[in-house]
This record gives sequence, C-alpha cells and structure tokens, in this order.
Amino acid sequence: MTDATLPTTRPGGLKRLVERYPFLPALVIALVLLALNGFYQPRSVSFIGITGLTKTYLALMMLAIAQTYVVYAGDIDLSAGAIVSLVNVVIVVMMEKMGGSGFSVVAALGLGLATGLACGIVNGVVVAALRLQAIVATFATSIFFTGLALYVMPVAGTPAPAAFWRTYGGRFFEIPFVFYAVVVLAIMLYVLARTRLSTQLLAVGDDAQAAFQSGLPVTRIRIQGYALCGLFAALAAFCVTGDTASGDPLVGGKMTLFSVAAVVLGGSALSGGYGTVIGSIIGALIIGLINSLVFFVGTPSEWQNLVQGLAILLALMAGILVGRRARA
Amino acid sequence: MSKIELRGVSKAYGATLALRRGDLSIDAGEVHVLIGSNGSGKSTLCKILAGSVRPDGGEILIDGKPVTITGPRSARDHGIGIFYQELSLAGHRTVSENICLSDMPVTRAGFVDRDALEARAARYVALFASVAGDGFSADTTVENLRADQRQLVEIMKALATEAPVIIFDEPTSALDRAQVDRFFEILRDLKAEGRSIIFISHRMDEIFAIGDRVTVIRDGETVGTERIADTNPAAVIRLMVGTQDELAPTNGAPHATAVARTFVLTLQNLSGKGFANVSFEVAKGEILGFGGLHGQGQSSVLRAIFGVNPVASGEIVLGGKTYAASNPREAIRRGLAYVSGDRGRDGVISGRPILENVTPIHYLRQKLRLARPAALADRVRPALEALHTKFGGLGHPINSLSGGNQQKIVIARWLIDRPDVLLLDDPTKGIDLSAKTDLFALIRKLAAEGMGIVLYSSEDAELLNNADRILVFNGGSVRRELTGADRTRYNLYQAAYEAA
Repeated sequence: MTDATLPTTRPGGLKRLVERYPFLPALVIALVLLALNGFYQPRSVSFIGITGLTKTYLALMMLAIAQTYVVYAGDIDLSAGAIVSLVNVVIVVMMEKMGGSGFSVVAALGLGLATGLACGIVNGVVVAALRLQAIVATFATSIFFTGLALYVMPVAGTPAPAAFWRTYGGRFFEIPFVFYAVVVLAIMLYVLARTRLSTQLLAVGDDAQAAFQSGLPVTRIRIQGYALCGLFAALAAFCVTGDTASGDPLVGGKMTLFSVAAVVLGGSALSGGYGTVIGSIIGALIIGLINSLVFFVGTPSEWQNLVQGLAILLALMAGILVGRRARA
Repeated sequence: MSKIELRGVSKAYGATLALRRGDLSIDAGEVHVLIGSNGSGKSTLCKILAGSVRPDGGEILIDGKPVTITGPRSARDHGIGIFYQELSLAGHRTVSENICLSDMPVTRAGFVDRDALEARAARYVALFASVAGDGFSADTTVENLRADQRQLVEIMKALATEAPVIIFDEPTSALDRAQVDRFFEILRDLKAEGRSIIFISHRMDEIFAIGDRVTVIRDGETVGTERIADTNPAAVIRLMVGTQDELAPTNGAPHATAVARTFVLTLQNLSGKGFANVSFEVAKGEILGFGGLHGQGQSSVLRAIFGVNPVASGEIVLGGKTYAASNPREAIRRGLAYVSGDRGRDGVISGRPILENVTPIHYLRQKLRLARPAALADRVRPALEALHTKFGGLGHPINSLSGGNQQKIVIARWLIDRPDVLLLDDPTKGIDLSAKTDLFALIRKLAAEGMGIVLYSSEDAELLNNADRILVFNGGSVRRELTGADRTRYNLYQAAYEAA
C-alpha cells in the first residue's frame, strides 16, 4: 500500500510519518521548488536570495499562521487580509503623527497589536457567540475593516519612517533582522503549541458538539482562536509595512485567500481538527517559491498569473495525492 | 438520603413532549438501571442531568440540596459525569488527549503538562488493557480505532471524570463479551467506593447482571422503581408495556397471504456497516415492519438496500433479478423508493418551490430533460391530492409548509411513477398526528394496490397497527419475527431487550 520509493522502517511507516507530520508532503514540494529555483537562477538560493525571499514572504507566513488557528477549530477568517490593511495604515499614520522616533515606532506597534486583537475578537464574537456563518460573517467584517482602513488613510502612499523599515531590512551582527524575527516566531509557535488552547481548538474542530458535551467552553475557545488570528494578522501587517515601507489601505486584501491556500497546502483540513502551523508556514513558502520560479523561468508578464495559478493547483493536487496515498 | 433526586422534570422540543414527568432517585453506591422503549425519554433525562439539555420544569436535588445545572461544565462541577451513547470523542486526538480533554493538566507556566496527562490517562487505559485488543494504545489517534475500542475510550473518559455520579447511556452496544465483563468488574469497584451509576442498556441480561434497582419510564413519565432482586424480566417488560398490551388491530389485514405470494424484494444474509446476516422477503402487497430499539441496524439495512451505504456481503433480489445496491440512482431506476424521517438530510430540497420538490424522481425515471411546468403540474396534482397535502401553490417554497406537509411532498415525489418497493425509514419523525393518519392510510392503500413496503418506525404503535409482519432488530441483526396474533407490545419489547 505505501509508497515504495520512500524508505520505510516497517509496514505503514510512511502512513505513520505523514499522520504524525501532516506537512511532510508540503515540505517535499517546497524542497523541489527550491531546487528548481536554484536551477533556473543559482543566485536565488544564495544567502542574499533566501534573505530576500524571507523578507518578502514573512508577512504571508504570519497570515497563514493566523489563518491556521481559526481553521483548527473548523472556522475560517476571510477578513485576515483586511486586518493586515487596517493595522498597516494605523501604525503608519501613528508613527507619522508622533514624528517617527524610536518611541513612536514602539507605541505604534503596540497600538497595531491592539487593533489586530480587537478585530479578531469582533470576528470571534460575530461567528462564535452570535453564531453567524464564518465565511459570510468574516467576509462582511472584511468590508467593514477595509472601510475603517480607508477612513484612517484614504489614499495609499504615506511613507513609514526610516527607523522602521531600515530595521526590518537591516542587519545586526551581520545577520539580517528577518532571521531574528523567524527565531522569535519559532519560539512563539513552540510555546503556543504547548498551551491548552491548541488542543482545545483542534478538539472543537473535530466535533464541536462532542467538545461541548465534554465540558469545553466552545464559544470562548473559538473566540480565542479568532483573537489569536487577529494578533498574527497584526504581526503580518508589521512585516508588510517593513517590506513596502509605506501605508496602503488595500495592501492586505489579496493576501486573504493566499493565506487559506497556504493552510491547505500545508496539509491542514479546512473542516478543522487536523493540521499544523509548520505546514502553513511551508505552504506560504511554496506560494512564494512558485511566484519567484515563474519569474526566473522567464514567463512573459501577461502569462505570469496564469502560470502561477496552474502551479498552485498542481502543488495542491500533489500534496493531496501524496497525503491520501500515505493515509489510505 | 438519596445521592441525587429528580422530581417532575420535563422537557419539550417544540410541540413534542420528550419528557413529561421524570422522577428518579439514586442512592450512593448503587447501579441504577433506566429502562423504557423508544422515545420514552430516558436519554433526555440523562442529558438533562449531564447539562447538555436544559429542562423546562422540575427539580434536581443533589445530596438533598436543589441545584441548577446550566451546562456540561456545571454538571461536572456538581459531580456528574456521563458516557454519551453517540460518543463525544475528537477523532484526530490521541486516546490520552481524549480521556483528559475536559480537564487537561497544566504546568505552572500554563503549558499542557504532558507527563501528568499521560500518567492520568494511563491509569484508565490500564483498566482495560487485557480486553482492549490489537492496535490500542494511549497514543493512538481515535479515528484509527475500531468501534468497540472507541466505545472503551468513551468509557475511560467518563471514568476519568472521577465524578460521584456517572451516567452510562448504552455503553456496551459495540463491546464484546470479555469487554463487557471487564467493564462490569470496574462498575462493581465503583459501587464499592460508594459512587452512583445510572445505567442504560438494551440487553436485559446485562441489566439483571449489574443492576441494583430499575426505574421504568413510559411515554415520558416515570412509572415505577423496583429492586432487581425482587423482580424479573417479564415483570419489567409488563411495566414498560403498561395497559397498552392490547392485540394489534388487524385493520391492515394481510393481503398477500391467501394468494400465491410473489416476492418483490428478497435479502439473503446481507451484511454491512451496522448490520449482519439480515435475510427476509417482502411479498407484493405486504407491509413488513422493522422494530426494536432505535439504532439497532434498521436504518442501516434500508439505506444499504437503497445504495446509500455499502453492502459488505450477501445478496439482494429485486423483482426476481439480483441487484447490486451500488447507488441511489440505480436503485430508483430499478423501482425502489426511499423515504427518510430525516427530511432535512434526505428529503426536502430546501428553499425551492414545491413543484421542484415533487418532480426530481419523475425527471430521473422518465429521462426527462425538458418539461413544461403546466404539464408537470397536471401530473403532480393527483399525487399531492392522494395525501391530502395542504399547500398554497406549486410555486411556493417548500419551507413555507409544516413538517407534516413537507413530508407529504417528499412522499408524493415517489407516487408519480409508482415504485415496486417502498422503503420507509422512520417516516413520521416529528410530524403531526393528522399527517400521520393520512400517511398510513396511503401506505395501506399502496400495499393494497400491490406495492411491497418495508416500514421501519421507532413508534411501536405505528408498527403494531400497520405492519403485517414485524422483524425485531437488536444489535444489527434480526432477533425475532412477529406475525399474526404475536404482534403485541409485550413480544416486541421482549425481543428488543433479548440478549444479543
């Protein structure tokens, strides 16, 4: 039954492996894509190349993480991108108003986190407490958040202070800042995975009724999932701001569905109860690698979207096929 | 003083009274059996105690003090744990995580204390180590377990509450003999510790093996409590039956018995998920009843015949020819019809007009691609009138109708092009009395015109009044066949509670 091309220690070894690490198929796809990138553009796998890739796609990784926590519980957040936009313009305007000093940056980031958290709680209350359908309700709040963002900054283009984006793009002790961010992120995820909340979210996603009957506070858990999603969306907004160095009230909109795609590419089930955060990060990476590969192969610009779309479809199919084969 | 006492607890779902007056008194250190036929309200009573259903009225006393149970959490805080019949497990979590799910141990830093969790779960896994079978360990994900093993996990989860009162709602339905024996040993230990057990089972032998007292519930009302030592199965069944033990009226007199019986549907040792070795034949013009407690395989058999659920082995003969139940489309083409009591899932095309709800089978059987609404309406009207369906107009959405009329629409769907065999899967669930009367009048008329009908009903009166023969199911197979004068409530309950 199991795939003969991979070494297995005992019958069902691959099955066990994929069950334990649902992101394995995604990891293989990501490595293949990385190799292809290196083949067509050797410089892309250099230290500078990897740094650039991380710098550009750290935001999507953050947003994919955000999305993962709500997907754990069988929910979805279609406003994640709008939260990114809102936090982006809020912190840029705040930093500008306060003069762009180091203190203003810290204060603005605090406000940004609070904004993301508030948006997440609004989503959670609307979906879990008021019991509206997650897809429609978060679509509605996404319009609402975008409206707020347009009120805060009607036209894109206000620059972020140099102190902010120089830090994001800069180096400390010869190591790019984004790698420190990745390390901090890894520690955060490690810690989060060990809290009760992760298991509870997954249990709710498995069967909300069963979780309720087991005595879990289902509504509160789902709201907490959305709150966590809002916080990580705010972190994603910080990365976007560091990367683009300006405010744009519509910058996050496109990212929403990419974040959902990344979660699925990473092997999580949209129906909830099954998945990993690492998988979603790898999923985001796959999307990034596809985009750069399409560019490196030299696709004419008018064909780039089409090829990107096909490549993402292929990656999805490959991941699902491998996962299904291994779990059958 | 009783450990726990219920006085006049009631619960209604819409117009249906699930529990009229539930009285129950449980002592510390006893196994108290709850018994009653389908829909008598025993599960509702348990869910009220466990906090997953809120009562409409009545009093609950624990240790003599009145309490209000607001939810599953609150029930736990009041010292009540429960084993859910339909299980409450998270499929992708491990056995250990499921056992400790509602109360996961955390370290002082706020992380899940893995070691404590494993250690606590291991205690309960060890209780069943000798009987759990292959592939069972604390770190297995629940979805990889067999049905009996999942049931054991749910038992462990209930035990892990360490509650003074534990409710077991049909905990043994999937267990084998050795597992039941081990479970009973554990129950006796709990009893010795002074804990109270509420026990529901569909096997009379188990009830008499483990119970100390038995409370009988009939039609949502507690009718009596007896000491097991002072009673016997026949007396308990008589208490369940009450004064309703009249002979089944024979107004649907067997039609096909006199004439040479031509069989329209024959099953030979059919097995599949939830049922095993089911054999029977349905003659032209006969109403064959499926009886027994709810969920003993009756629905599974019907759904397998209709090609919804897979068949593992056995043979189906339909109109003299063998038939592989592969999918509902094929079943419909071969002249089968299926009406489910779960209208929302299997029947109603929600939000669409009545006309569209009546015609899908007509389209399929006549291979229609295009049709004139006016011509269709002419074909539809007689079918609807046969059932006395009340509706505003064919263009009105089906959701504007009452449950009973919706079900009539779903049945009318099958009447335009008559099927040979009609499979009824608890068709009267949640519909009003007059609709039920119309429905059964029609069913008897259809039978008189030569249709073969299989009727599964969880309401025993419907079966006794309408079926020519009754097959009583227990644990996925047919226990007894009741014909003629044997079709009594007493026989029905006795067969339903027979040891599987």
